[in-house]
Amino acid sequence: MCGIIGYVGQEPAAPILLESLKRLEYRGYDSAGITVLNSTLETYKTVGKIADLESILPTEIKANIGIGHTRWATHGKPETRNAHPHISSGVSVVHNGIIENYLELKEKLTERGYVFESDTDTEVIAHLLHHNMNNDTPNCDLFTAMRMTISELEGSYAIAALCCNEPDRVVFARKDSPLVIGLGEAGNYAASDVTAFLKHTKKVVFVSDHEVGYILPNAIRIYDPEGKLLERSPETIEWDMEAAEKSGYDHFMLKEIHEQPTSIQNTFAGKLMELEGTVRMNELYLIPEQIKHLRRATIVACGTSWNAGILGKYLFEKLAGIHTDIETASEFRYGNPVLCGEELTIAITQSGETADTLAAVRSSKSYGCRTVAITNVVGSTITRESDSIVYTRAGPEIGVAATKTFTAQLITLYMLAIHMGRIRGVITADEAKDLIVNLKRLPGQIQRILSRKEKIKECAQQFADKRDYFFIGRYLNYPVALEGALKLKEISYIHAEGYAAGELKHGPLALITEETPVVAIATKGHTYDKILSNIKEVKARNAVVIAVANEDDKEIEKYADMVLRIPASHEMTSPVLSSVVLQLLAYYTALAKDCSIDKPRNLAKSVTVE
Amino acid sequence: MKAVVLAAGEGRRCRPLTLTRSKVMLPVANKPILEHVINALSKNDVQDIILVVGYEKERVMDYFGDGGDLGVKIRYIEQKAQIGTAHAILKARDMIEPEDEAFLVVNGDNIIEPDTIRDLLRSAGGDATVLACKKENATGYGVLVVEGQRIKKIVEKPQHVVSHLINTGIYLFRPQIFELIERTPLTHTGEYAITDTLQIMIDEGMKVIMANTFSDWLDALYSWDLLKANPIVLGEFEQDLQKGTVEEGAVVKGSVSIGYNTTIRSGCYIVGPAVIGDNCDIGPNAVILPSTSIGNNVSIASFTQIQNSIIMNDVRVGTHSYISNSVIGSNVSAGSHFVTEDKEKLLIEIEGSLLPADKLGTIIGDDTEIGSNVLVRAGIMIYPNCRVNSGKLITEALAQNSIVI
Repeated sequence: MCGIIGYVGQEPAAPILLESLKRLEYRGYDSAGITVLNSTLETYKTVGKIADLESILPTEIKANIGIGHTRWATHGKPETRNAHPHISSGVSVVHNGIIENYLELKEKLTERGYVFESDTDTEVIAHLLHHNMNNDTPNCDLFTAMRMTISELEGSYAIAALCCNEPDRVVFARKDSPLVIGLGEAGNYAASDVTAFLKHTKKVVFVSDHEVGYILPNAIRIYDPEGKLLERSPETIEWDMEAAEKSGYDHFMLKEIHEQPTSIQNTFAGKLMELEGTVRMNELYLIPEQIKHLRRATIVACGTSWNAGILGKYLFEKLAGIHTDIETASEFRYGNPVLCGEELTIAITQSGETADTLAAVRSSKSYGCRTVAITNVVGSTITRESDSIVYTRAGPEIGVAATKTFTAQLITLYMLAIHMGRIRGVITADEAKDLIVNLKRLPGQIQRILSRKEKIKECAQQFADKRDYFFIGRYLNYPVALEGALKLKEISYIHAEGYAAGELKHGPLALITEETPVVAIATKGHTYDKILSNIKEVKARNAVVIAVANEDDKEIEKYADMVLRIPASHEMTSPVLSSVVLQLLAYYTALAKDCSIDKPRNLAKSVTVE
Repeated sequence: MKAVVLAAGEGRRCRPLTLTRSKVMLPVANKPILEHVINALSKNDVQDIILVVGYEKERVMDYFGDGGDLGVKIRYIEQKAQIGTAHAILKARDMIEPEDEAFLVVNGDNIIEPDTIRDLLRSAGGDATVLACKKENATGYGVLVVEGQRIKKIVEKPQHVVSHLINTGIYLFRPQIFELIERTPLTHTGEYAITDTLQIMIDEGMKVIMANTFSDWLDALYSWDLLKANPIVLGEFEQDLQKGTVEEGAVVKGSVSIGYNTTIRSGCYIVGPAVIGDNCDIGPNAVILPSTSIGNNVSIASFTQIQNSIIMNDVRVGTHSYISNSVIGSNVSAGSHFVTEDKEKLLIEIEGSLLPADKLGTIIGDDTEIGSNVLVRAGIMIYPNCRVNSGKLITEALAQNSIVI
């Protein structure tokens, strides 16, 4: 999605802006631009990569203030004229979000004589600011104009703006799109994401919805919607810039896959009480009485998080005896959800900014449901909207395809299910202990998969030229199949479908030929025999079968053409291991096809538009 | 100043532990050997580090990242085929700028102290400087024949005593070394050795000098040597119990350090020096005696005793077990009543040759699963990924992926 950055301080602005935009690259973009202010506004923008933008910049730009933007097209095609910043004589604006009433505003502004150069919704903000500064109110400054402007806007926005008459400040405003302020030693920053300026400072202030303000070289000002100055003490971000470097790997994705033995340990650190058979979930603001009386849980999520949510459903039902529904956030909010109190909504979003998931949480709250957010990003919007927050603690993820944050979500769901299951008396301490021991074994088992990934690489190379792939699994392995297919299509552009293995005969079997590899997740468990029959079904249609199976399983070799192994493990926790295998399969397939692994086409890391 | 750290080789002599990681990643006092090296460099303001990696490089990259956690900047270059130290150093050529007057070359698999590097930097000079360390028994090492400070000859693993000054493999070079490396011929074993490059320099009358160190310079030739290095490094720790929890009724004596979220349960008796990592669950009623390091995410069940041993990450040891003078690889799990016998003055067979070990229990490779009531005879090694059923007596080495039914 779009990323914005603003800087004002003592350093040359252009290099800082460019570097920040590179940090925001992972959000996905198709064009980029900057405006710097050095007595006049100088704007440079282009379609393409940051490197393309860099190539059109003059060698020396003298300016200590500027704004920048990476654009992911929503309104108007990816063309240079649609790239931000947008200008209205003396005012320059960058924006992330969607202005819903922009057509109406555009009409009004056109009547007043403003000429629009782009097809974007953002350009109305620039002209509105200009209009508000130059009409009605005498001596209106940019900040006041911003307050007037946002009162006219409907939709979502994080805005940063500059005016040539006020060379000491970048004005910002936020509603429903992420915005964070960074307090540096040589200037201050406003950005969509802390990674944009993390190299310069770890001191940040999160801006809340409807707040507006400006950054100066040595100070920041934030005001509430009524115009009252707010006192905000900065928070310190613990993430290191290290995490944003590839550290010897060719791609962030492979680095992040390799981080899983550590990231999983961070997810469960201090929570698993093995001898007691309990999970410590102090961050859950639900008293045991409330957990005991829960009638239903609804998991809302999108994309990879949704796949994690399906496993969550099975876990909550088996371990905690709670009827659980899994809903796609973008559908849930427009359906007619039947909700009431004594119900729990669990929202899963890596970024904590997913627009549809946020909307689903708000809607659940309006029905009186309790809400729990599972997210990876500290201070993200969802953490302010939910009653309880469980952090997955996987560290920043740069690759667009989620890997370590997916497994961290799974671990969090196991812990939540065990915790609730113990309180509700559905599982005994001994059963819980068994699961906890198996969760603790996961880091070592994943390490083992990683050190023997050559086999997976060979398999990926062998089938990289196929057009279609099927992934099948049953019960706990069904979400693994879905996620395996999603990873493959995201980064290797191969058409892939994940299916509950039993569903094959109800249609998709018609598509199975010798040209469609079928990945069957056939780990040991109570559906093992059933998946073997499904493998036979597809074998009978001449498909090549790649099985994911336990190391000690010899029988599978009779049915599958190729077997990718996971260490012998508990049925309940094996989905985490199988997922790692399929992440590597997708990675090496995309590598064999020479795809843009960390930034697949058309995709964005956090989907902040609806 | 920049340092090129050589971390590409496997370290075959430290098998079975190096079958799944390179020697630089073997833990001493809960830190990979390479981390001790990087700390020593960093303390001397050498913070621009070029790591030459190769064998199992991901393990190195995953652990060190870009060096931010250690306060250094790390860049990686890959040496795909491990064909000698000179070849490895040459790989770093692009990262050494013409304005770098001199740069360090350090082996990543010897444990060094900050003083070691300081000693080299203090007496460096000439065209190249080699750090030497005096050892009574220099067999198995390269030694330096000197005249004053000037090196006359480098002799690899001499049969007779020619010098007690062993070559630590720590050098200070000038960028001109790269041209000399290009002129270095292959050895008869098919490698490009940096000692040959130095010999060329000496022969051509360039000034190659020696710097001396009396600091700790520890080399683990074989896996059991880790058990000698471990107590030395552990001796430098202070007691630190703040990060984890020590339950009432547990006794902790001496310099014992425990990591985040680690619980020492009631009735445990722990005598330092010992270090225990993050997310561990120890006891109740477990006994940990001096010179023991325990990695992260390790569970030690009740009534188990561990002494003078290295336990790596993700290990589980069952109740009533006894582990002494042993190294347990990561992701190993042992049931109850697992016993390692230990003996002194052993001869251990590795790849056909018999090697002496002063005192040893066992060495167990990664990912091995051991049932209950298993006893391993002294000096017998278990290679990675073995399965040993309950009630077995292990009297001979187990090859990788063995199953003992």
